[in-house]
Amino acid sequence: MYQPPSLLEKWSQENNELVNKCKQQEAGGGAVSQDHRQSSLRWCSSEFHKLLRKIQGIPPHVDHSQLELAVVYNTCVCFTAQSQFSEAELLLKEATERVLQVTGNNADTSDPLVLWRAGLKSAGNTALHPHVLYLLCLQWALWLAKCQLENIGELQEQMSSLCEIVCDGVGDGSPSEAKGRLSKSPLLVMEPKRLTELLQICTSIAQGAEKLNEGRSSEALSDLQAASALPATRALVAYTHLLSGSCLAHMNRPQMALQCYKKALETDSRCVCALYRSMLIYRQLGNTQAEIQALRLLHSTLMLPPATEPVLGGIQPLSPSLLLSSQSLSRLLSVPSALSVLYSLALKCVLSGRVTEGVEHYLDLLAALHSEDQHAVDAEVSVLPRMPELYLEAGTALLFTRRPADCMAFCNEVISTTLELVPEKVVLEEPEEGIGGDARGLSVEGEDKVAMLLWAAAAYLVQGHCHAHLKDWKQAVTHYTRCINLLVKVHLKNRDFQPQIPAADVNVKHGKDLCTLQRMKGLSLAWRGISFTQMDQLREALRDLQLSLQAFPDYTGAGLWCGEVLWRLGRKHEAAACWEKTWSLTTQTSVEKLPLYLQDPQSGPLLDSVELRLRIQELGLT
Amino acid sequence: MEGRCAVETWAQFGFSGGSYKVKILCGFGTDVLICTGTEEIYVFSKRERKITTVLLLPAAVNDLVGNQDKQLIYVACRSGVYRVNLQFLLHRDQSSQADASSSPAELKISQECLVVGADEVSSLLLVGSVLLTLCQRDASWLLTLYKTPKQTASTSHKEFGSFNLPVVSAVDCGAAESNRGPRKGSVLICIHSGDVEASSPSNASAESTVAQDHFHLEPLLFKLLFGVEAALAKSPVILCGLPDGRLCFLPLRLPGSCLRVLHSLEQPVCFVGASVVTETGHAQCLVAAGEQGRVALIKTDKAGPEGGSAVAAFTEGCVPGPVWCGCMDKSCFYYSTGADLLRLDLLEGSFARESKERGEETSGMTAAALQSPSSLNVCRVIALAEPACSTAGDVQLLGVSARGQLQRICLPAGRVDEGSSKLPSTQVSRSVRDLLSAIGDVCERASVLKTVIKSKNQFLRLLNHAVSVSFLLMADTTTDLPIKEKPIRCHFETSWSRLLQKDSLSLVCFLHNSSPFVLERGWMLSITVSPLSYSSSPAGESSSTNFSFPFHDLRPGQTFEASLPIAAAGDASFPMTVSCSLIFSLSSLLGEEEVAASFAGLQSSCISLPLSTLTVDWLHALQLNSPTATHKMATVQPSSAAADSIQTFLSSRQLRCSGRTNRGGESAAKPEPEKYSASVWVSSEIVRDTLKPKKSSNLDAKESIRDPEDLCLSLLERLLSEDTEGVKMGCQGDKIALSTSVAHARGPNGAAMKLSVKEINVGEEESTDKEATIEVQIESSSLAAVCGLHHAVLRRIQTLLQSATEKAASTKNVQILGLRRALQRAEIQQSQISGAFGEVVSTVQRDRLLLSVYQELRRNPLLIV
Repeated sequence: MYQPPSLLEKWSQENNELVNKCKQQEAGGGAVSQDHRQSSLRWCSSEFHKLLRKIQGIPPHVDHSQLELAVVYNTCVCFTAQSQFSEAELLLKEATERVLQVTGNNADTSDPLVLWRAGLKSAGNTALHPHVLYLLCLQWALWLAKCQLENIGELQEQMSSLCEIVCDGVGDGSPSEAKGRLSKSPLLVMEPKRLTELLQICTSIAQGAEKLNEGRSSEALSDLQAASALPATRALVAYTHLLSGSCLAHMNRPQMALQCYKKALETDSRCVCALYRSMLIYRQLGNTQAEIQALRLLHSTLMLPPATEPVLGGIQPLSPSLLLSSQSLSRLLSVPSALSVLYSLALKCVLSGRVTEGVEHYLDLLAALHSEDQHAVDAEVSVLPRMPELYLEAGTALLFTRRPADCMAFCNEVISTTLELVPEKVVLEEPEEGIGGDARGLSVEGEDKVAMLLWAAAAYLVQGHCHAHLKDWKQAVTHYTRCINLLVKVHLKNRDFQPQIPAADVNVKHGKDLCTLQRMKGLSLAWRGISFTQMDQLREALRDLQLSLQAFPDYTGAGLWCGEVLWRLGRKHEAAACWEKTWSLTTQTSVEKLPLYLQDPQSGPLLDSVELRLRIQELGLT
Repeated sequence: MEGRCAVETWAQFGFSGGSYKVKILCGFGTDVLICTGTEEIYVFSKRERKITTVLLLPAAVNDLVGNQDKQLIYVACRSGVYRVNLQFLLHRDQSSQADASSSPAELKISQECLVVGADEVSSLLLVGSVLLTLCQRDASWLLTLYKTPKQTASTSHKEFGSFNLPVVSAVDCGAAESNRGPRKGSVLICIHSGDVEASSPSNASAESTVAQDHFHLEPLLFKLLFGVEAALAKSPVILCGLPDGRLCFLPLRLPGSCLRVLHSLEQPVCFVGASVVTETGHAQCLVAAGEQGRVALIKTDKAGPEGGSAVAAFTEGCVPGPVWCGCMDKSCFYYSTGADLLRLDLLEGSFARESKERGEETSGMTAAALQSPSSLNVCRVIALAEPACSTAGDVQLLGVSARGQLQRICLPAGRVDEGSSKLPSTQVSRSVRDLLSAIGDVCERASVLKTVIKSKNQFLRLLNHAVSVSFLLMADTTTDLPIKEKPIRCHFETSWSRLLQKDSLSLVCFLHNSSPFVLERGWMLSITVSPLSYSSSPAGESSSTNFSFPFHDLRPGQTFEASLPIAAAGDASFPMTVSCSLIFSLSSLLGEEEVAASFAGLQSSCISLPLSTLTVDWLHALQLNSPTATHKMATVQPSSAAADSIQTFLSSRQLRCSGRTNRGGESAAKPEPEKYSASVWVSSEIVRDTLKPKKSSNLDAKESIRDPEDLCLSLLERLLSEDTEGVKMGCQGDKIALSTSVAHARGPNGAAMKLSVKEINVGEEESTDKEATIEVQIESSSLAAVCGLHHAVLRRIQTLLQSATEKAASTKNVQILGLRRALQRAEIQQSQISGAFGEVVSTVQRDRLLLSVYQELRRNPLLIV
């Protein structure tokens, strides 16, 4: 006689079918796209949710509970995988409450911790216990994903016992036993053992990051080193090494940190963050060659097609990236974009004298910026300088490699863009009032008029250098004059503000602007003076060089040339005094901090200090 | 507004007219896609004027964008973004639809087409290969970027970036809800900097995606609004209008950029666009319209408030709302309030701004311009698209009405005149200046063309003349008119003149133009003078001489006179042939320098038209000796006479004539030289007859003619002065008054000769009918002179007789008498000649014998009757 299947059987059959279908899709997951996965996941979750609604439609009952909890587990996994944390959490809460109802306990609390403790206790040693534990795993995952690490800490002992039970119980569960149970117990979407393992290492990593963030480096270090032995994917293990390295770096042990980073890279070659961190350490150590090497590696790694980077957790529905979303961790793992790396590389090359290489990198960078594939990907604060500054730096680098024509083209681009927007008059105010006065200087969309003017002026300055390089002194004078004409449009509002470079408040924006302005004035006047010298217009040259020294007294080039002009004018004693004074200036302005285009051009006429000293000696003899 | 809008309903589709966002997408050839907020997208074919296909999507459609290049459309539904390959679909559709063409085909878009699984995407935008979606998530607006695959076959759309903007609760959100306005949506457009087009290498792909949601903004305004960095990076800027009234922008290709707020309308943004397009194709004005009629115009203000640099000027105003939908053409913003379709002329607004530069307070004016949109009297329009301006100036719009009708709205032209009346004076003066300079250019070009045409006409006219003249002259030769009646004729006069104590004979040519044509530039008279017989020229070379005389303007009736020296005394061989022709040369017509430069070969090309050929003979070249003149000449000119005599002597020696020449009255002491003579006999009857008609007018002459003396005289006179064939002997100083019938003269070689005419009676005594005969006798010591003159006289008499036979038709029989005598003489001479050749004598003797025979012949001529 045919007996219609009971509801329980029908539901469990439905659940099993769904799980199988899910796993099939997962298995073929390598081929299908992310979108496809997402849509199938969405479909699964809605189907599970429908089934759950049917099961929960009747009052809780012991016979059904096992199936019900399994379906809750499956549904929650799907929800979590779609980052629908609140829905998952709600389901979990309902499920625990129903467990309590089944076991005859009443929960009057809404505090999840209390609820879970009660649930575990009531289900203890019943057939339901493993299923409740599975649900606890999910709760753990949810807390981890929502970065509620303190909750995890509260339930630490339950968690560790859970780990033991799940790992042992299911892990060493003999196949025969499992098979026997399998016939009865409903299927699950994700193995609880795998989930637990994943949760353990992710928790370690998240906690380590948190501690590192709080400054408890040594504590974090031991935890992370312990975690590195846990079974997990290579990427996650690499993270533990990486974080250990960061701890060591924090503890001022750079060489050991480098070792850790190296280990991380060995574990997972795609761990670009380790490469980045090593680069930072090399920079800190002042090892320029290694730094450049690291930067180049970093850039080429970042430029690799992203397809080679697989989803972290393989084909599991719950991915580690979902669980490792804490702010402190992402800050530690963040790597600047390929463009900023390329920029750093270019700048570093130029500053360390590998100019030709640097120019290539600059040109690559600009080409990348102009390519159609370039998009404003992330809104994170970029270390790239503003576009015009980039043009100017690239131009200057080109001038360093003796390609003045290309340099002039870059400068022309900057001038044509900015010159229209340069106002007739700009007021540069004192930094203290700067906050209030910002509105005046800024145009509608926040573009700084002062910056605009300084860019245009710098472009003229660099063009002047180009002409000076070509020994076209007349043109050089023209361009330096244009630069000066722009610079004098800036009015300093507060007179008592020292026109010297305030070394301390370089970080203050207007202070920086002022510094740039003064330096540019000094440079343009000095170089116009030098150009005049070359054209034998000594009077004009002297005037300009003296003005330059007024604007920017630390510029040695101006001092030396001023002396030279005095010498040629026959004022030899004054010249000697001028040279002596210049040599006595020991203030070494940090060249590194200045933009490339504000540095002394490396070409042009030079004065030999030794020869000048000889002249002074002769003067003294006669 | 004069004229009404013409609304033509194209299609009706099942559409309930709800508060959905309706969108019309054009640009797929002749297909127009309409989404109405339901699950259906209608494909309307403009060519067939009907809905051809209906696309059925799984969920209600929010937005629709297209990639015209690849014929792809992206559809944003409630459940995600679908990609439909339109071309593929429609082609498949056409093949299957061939049988049942009456009803539109329904095509279900399956889940396979889903490319982005994001819910509730409210707006889409396609920039190059990037698909942007805008949707609201929890508490923020999310702009997400997806990379579209290069191959249309693959479906992977990788998300590679997203931007957040927190939601703010709109101020009058509730009010908008209660208002029966359209459903709140968002607007996404893409702004390109104007100068990118030229420089960007990705131009081609950028161009292909330019559609109704892509605008090119003037570079300065672009920089002012979005920053220099975006301009330097040549980045397109995404502009999105949100339901909370904010207008946000994002430079797409600038690293590290983020969504920033540009402006806030404080009411749901329902339209953003750019207009006031210049000739270069760059829009000068950015327009954003809010749902309740607030309109923001963003322009460049060249004279900013501070420091004179340009700033972006935001002008806000309110137009009568609500604004359901809008679209833009090159200068206008069209929007529908549901009750009416309105047009806002943005050019007026810009003029108001210009006038502000002149210092007037016109902020009110701008607002006024905003407040006075012109009504177009079309109601219930809920979607607008594709403004198209025809050449006539009228605008056509595509609209969807609230009842679900697709309409073509034709707006009347007429704004043009309106607009021109409102032009400010600067604009007017500028355009007037432009027009004037344009007129100047045209005028200059026209005058150049005119001169070219004129010169060509001139050329043609000259050619026409040339051809006419040549026809005229050719006709002359065929009809053989007498020379006097030819339309262009020339005659000659010979005259002796003394220059530097040397006598020279010159020939004066008179060309009389009695044709109706002017002989002008390009024509010339060419005269060739060559001796009649070449025997006398020593080396046998052609001794012809050419003279040419260009005409300037020889008008009809005028006479051209040219004098050409033929010979100095003594060194000419007479008779000579003078042939004259008219020459028309092309080179002179074209202008010397042009021809010289380009056609070297053309210089010789000319048309030559022979006029006449004449003979100048001895009679023409005679120098008559008047009794007084003879003496004078002899005394005045001893040296030349001596030279002459030597020459004559030499020549006579050569001819084996004995002795020296003797000039009349020079030396009686010298032995009288041998005189040669020749004579011509003419019947006096004939002479009288031929001379009569000439003198018929003169009654006295008729009387005198009867007298044989007179007859002789007049014949002599006639021989000496009458012009034959157009050559006449010029008067030699004083009028020759011949008193006797004997004329002494000197030939051109200086030989003295005597020409005498007298009446003799020839015939036998027994003959009753004595023939009155006139004998013309030529005597000279120079054989050449006798020969020459004899020849000339014979020619004259020949011509005389030619005319005489025509008129008098003398029927005299051949004189048997004369014939007999002549026969006798001929026999004698025959025997003499044969004797001369038969006997073996020296050449000297033979010559002498032949000469005597010759003289015999000359002396006893036949009587010419």
